[in-house]
Amino acid sequence: MTSREMMHRSESAVSIELQTPDMTLNIGPQHPSTHGVLRLVAKVDGERIREVEPVIGYMHRGYEKLAEVRTYAQITALVNRIDWVSGFASEVPFILGVEKLMGVEAPERAQWIRLILSELARISSHLVFISSYPLELGATTPLMHSLREREYILELIEEVTGGRFHPNFNRVGGVKSAYGGGSTTKKQSMDLPAGFFKRTSEAMDRMDKICDDIDTLVTGNELIKMRTVGVGIIPPDKALEFGLSGPNLRASGVAYDLRKSDSYLTYDQVEFDVVSRPGGDCYDRYLVRLHEVRESVKIIRQAIDMIPSGPLQAKVPRVLKAPKGHVYSRAENPKGEFGYYIVSEGGKMPYRLKIRSTSFSNLTILPWILKGQLIPDLVAIMGSLDFVLGDVDR
Amino acid sequence: MSKSINFPFPGLFRGMGLTLKTMVKRAPVTMYPEVQEVPVPRARGVISLDVDNCTVCMLCARECPDWCIYIEGHKEEKGETKPGARMRTKNLLDRFDIDYGLCMYCGICVEVCPFDALFWTPEYEYSEPRVADLLHNKEKLTEWLATVPENPALES
Ligand code: SF4
Ligand code: SF4
Repeated sequence: MTSREMMHRSESAVSIELQTPDMTLNIGPQHPSTHGVLRLVAKVDGERIREVEPVIGYMHRGYEKLAEVRTYAQITALVNRIDWVSGFASEVPFILGVEKLMGVEAPERAQWIRLILSELARISSHLVFISSYPLELGATTPLMHSLREREYILELIEEVTGGRFHPNFNRVGGVKSAYGGGSTTKKQSMDLPAGFFKRTSEAMDRMDKICDDIDTLVTGNELIKMRTVGVGIIPPDKALEFGLSGPNLRASGVAYDLRKSDSYLTYDQVEFDVVSRPGGDCYDRYLVRLHEVRESVKIIRQAIDMIPSGPLQAKVPRVLKAPKGHVYSRAENPKGEFGYYIVSEGGKMPYRLKIRSTSFSNLTILPWILKGQLIPDLVAIMGSLDFVLGDVDR
Repeated sequence: MSKSINFPFPGLFRGMGLTLKTMVKRAPVTMYPEVQEVPVPRARGVISLDVDNCTVCMLCARECPDWCIYIEGHKEEKGETKPGARMRTKNLLDRFDIDYGLCMYCGICVEVCPFDALFWTPEYEYSEPRVADLLHNKEKLTEWLATVPENPALES
């Protein structure tokens, strides 16, 4: 065989054997686009993802087990660390569940305070998304703008609760009403500090402004559109099948919002629209969140007009004991439905606490939606689902 | 997938215009070490202890969710009120440590203390190079007492 022939043979052999085995690519656990410590084991064929398997659990802190040996008051301090981007919002469903179990109801003013703080938490969570999502797509400027504005929201939360991220402000039967429980000195009331409403409405004006700014910076940006429009489409039936909730579900055209459909707190007394978009792609998921900031601003504006004065705390026994029974309570977290299933055997601590954390359920769609996508789109799709790893692993 | 690209990206330039406008504005930043950041009065910075009020009831240590309060005390006889009556005793605090390396700033201890011995103060400058030094003892916790702020005025 001449060398020429040999070359010819090997070339044809190559063209036959072009079916190369898939490469396994490990993304994470420490990768900036994974929002923490999520590991993705992807089988890739060139730039295309054939299959992806999320590996979770790097941040498992065992909240469900911890809760079995903690009193209800102590669990409240723990649960706002599940989703730390919106700490207050994960306290609310837990405390509502315990209240349902014990048959107490918080006074009106406490309910309104909870509503205002939940919406502030929603704005701050969405602002984090609005800042980090363009960052993942390569735009650093929106980060500066929206994190700057988030600081005003966090200041408001801190002013009322004393904590920026971990408010620990909900109590069974109301909100934290006094600093100390002592009787030797005058109790320090924890009602809203003076000027809070004024500062809140000023901050809400800022939020309107930043929404417009983000519209200019991100929504109308052609590069962002190129990366997100038509990418990672989740059809409504698939979204329901995988149990998505929150903005991810509403971006697929299902206008389902627990604040409307299973109203809790005083959401039935305020007017707001459930934002939904028909497309189901990354761009729509981003737009839904941006519009929800505007809706939250609307809710807070109404709430500070409507909030009545009155007590912050209903009468509850000093030692909290829930009667035997079980309850599932849920609320609309910024990221979707957040639920607690509390089983009580009648003691000071729950017998079992099951947490339906939003991000975990939203993450289940990853293997399906990433199949056949390009690797650069992986970042765009994953970012648009807006999960927090603490919320996934609990 | 090919997408229509309408050069020269008007949206991009509108965004850059906003960036330019922001560039000439003053940034709302506190230049921390030179300028002190003043936290709100309710901020949960550090816990201070009023030793005179504490009766060594251990409630705070028991209710703390991560058991980071260490208390030891002893009883001291105060003498009898009448001859033959039961000896009156007083609990005295020997050790009161809070491990700030472990504390999660939940505020449960401050809330459950029935004798108003614990207070929040918004001080925050107590970081240490060694995590073990974050254990504040009785004397250190008492020092913080001077920084307890007045309760802010309330909204009606
Ligand atoms: S703030 Fe919470 S964690 Fe810290 S010492 Fe008090 S009870 Fe314990
Ligand atoms: S609860 Fe108060 S009085 Fe009791 S040991 Fe703790 S600080 Fe002292």
